[in-house]
Amino acid sequence: MKLAVGWLSLALAIFFALIIEEFLPPVRFLHGARVFLVPMLFCYGALAMPFWATLLMAVYTGFLTDLAYMNVTDGRVEIALGWSIVVFVFFGLFAHGLQPAFTGGRWWLHVLLSALCTSIFLALQFLMICFRRQGIYFNETVAWLVFAPGLFAALLSPLVHLTVTKLAPYVHGHTRLRAYRIEQP
Amino acid sequence: MSRLNIVLVAAVIVGAIILSSFGSGTMRRLQAGFLSAVSPFLKTGSAVQRQLGAMGKGLKTLDELEAENRQLKIENTELRATNQILRDLEAENNKLRSALEYRKRSIFKLVPARIVSRDAATWWSTVKINRGFEEGLEPDQPVLTDIGLVGKTTTVSKNESIVLLISDESCKVAAKVEGSNERGILSGRRMGEGGSPNEMQLNFLSKKADLQPGQKVYTEGVVKGTSTGVFPSGILIGAVKSFQARPLDGQAIVEPSVDLSTVEDVFVVVGAK
Repeated sequence: MKLAVGWLSLALAIFFALIIEEFLPPVRFLHGARVFLVPMLFCYGALAMPFWATLLMAVYTGFLTDLAYMNVTDGRVEIALGWSIVVFVFFGLFAHGLQPAFTGGRWWLHVLLSALCTSIFLALQFLMICFRRQGIYFNETVAWLVFAPGLFAALLSPLVHLTVTKLAPYVHGHTRLRAYRIEQP
Repeated sequence: MSRLNIVLVAAVIVGAIILSSFGSGTMRRLQAGFLSAVSPFLKTGSAVQRQLGAMGKGLKTLDELEAENRQLKIENTELRATNQILRDLEAENNKLRSALEYRKRSIFKLVPARIVSRDAATWWSTVKINRGFEEGLEPDQPVLTDIGLVGKTTTVSKNESIVLLISDESCKVAAKVEGSNERGILSGRRMGEGGSPNEMQLNFLSKKADLQPGQKVYTEGVVKGTSTGVFPSGILIGAVKSFQARPLDGQAIVEPSVDLSTVEDVFVVVGAK
């Protein structure tokens, strides 16, 4: 039951994060880099939930992300539906491996993972578009557009952590760090 | 990892591959469904954003307001005068057209729309508007303002649509340059290339094209078989900023006439009147 409540809460948070992202303006002085909340929330879930729940969350997050950002033009899709699911599954697998350390109190793993996943996700998107268009290129703008969102995610992830810490007692009944794990083994 | 987990991961990946094999029409329909689902939240978010913006804009000093008022009065007088001249010109133009038996210039049926959000996607230049198929919109319809071309619709849901801006690299428009025989394909520039992010490139011009900064660029209106392309002929796109001859062709850099990063109200061309 607790796991179901935790999973649904996170799913709802991811849904609203996608909508909030629509209204967050790009940071002009950083070449228009944007703030992404979804990979950060997903990483938290992947670090806290059991394997099958992480997998289900990867499917849900990837599917919604693709629907939100898919660009269908002239009868072709640059990044097909389903691609993000695969990426989030791999993020989930990686995060799940770090779960023992995270539940043991290493909260900064979420900061690190959020930054990495956000930037890797954007870099992979960029590479796929490059393959579809005129080949790979790289410049300062692309670097900012890939790495700055990772930096934003790293800065924002402690806030997510703190919020869940405050909410944890209502779901789990106690506030110790290991309580972040939605279902104790 | 247990065998069951490996099977689960494999099943999810196979599922994702099956999803990715769907046709663009199916993907468009799925995206339209998603847009319809988030539509109430987008509208609420847009309203909140507008109110916050209005609060920010409202914080002006009296001096600023007086200066703005003076400027607006002057502009108003100028516009009235220009309007009168344009009316006379329009009448004369219509007379000449019928006299020369030119095909009557098509008059578009326009649906007004408001931009509710600028897409959070990093790699595409798109916006969402508050009109959908309920108002007669369809995919691949031109979107413009009274100043010029903005883009075209891609995914259309019941009450929301996604508009691909002309500044996106994947938005291709057949274009011609005013006062010359130069024709080419216009598209957005790659990320980080050039100065402004909204600058566009007009490719496949002749190497010896004598283009000057400020020359206007219009849509060409390509005819595909019995139907015309997405963009009708004669819509202003922007003005030439610079021109360079390349080994095989000429390329002009074009600045859009519409400020794509601040435009709020647009029209969708849903057909001829």
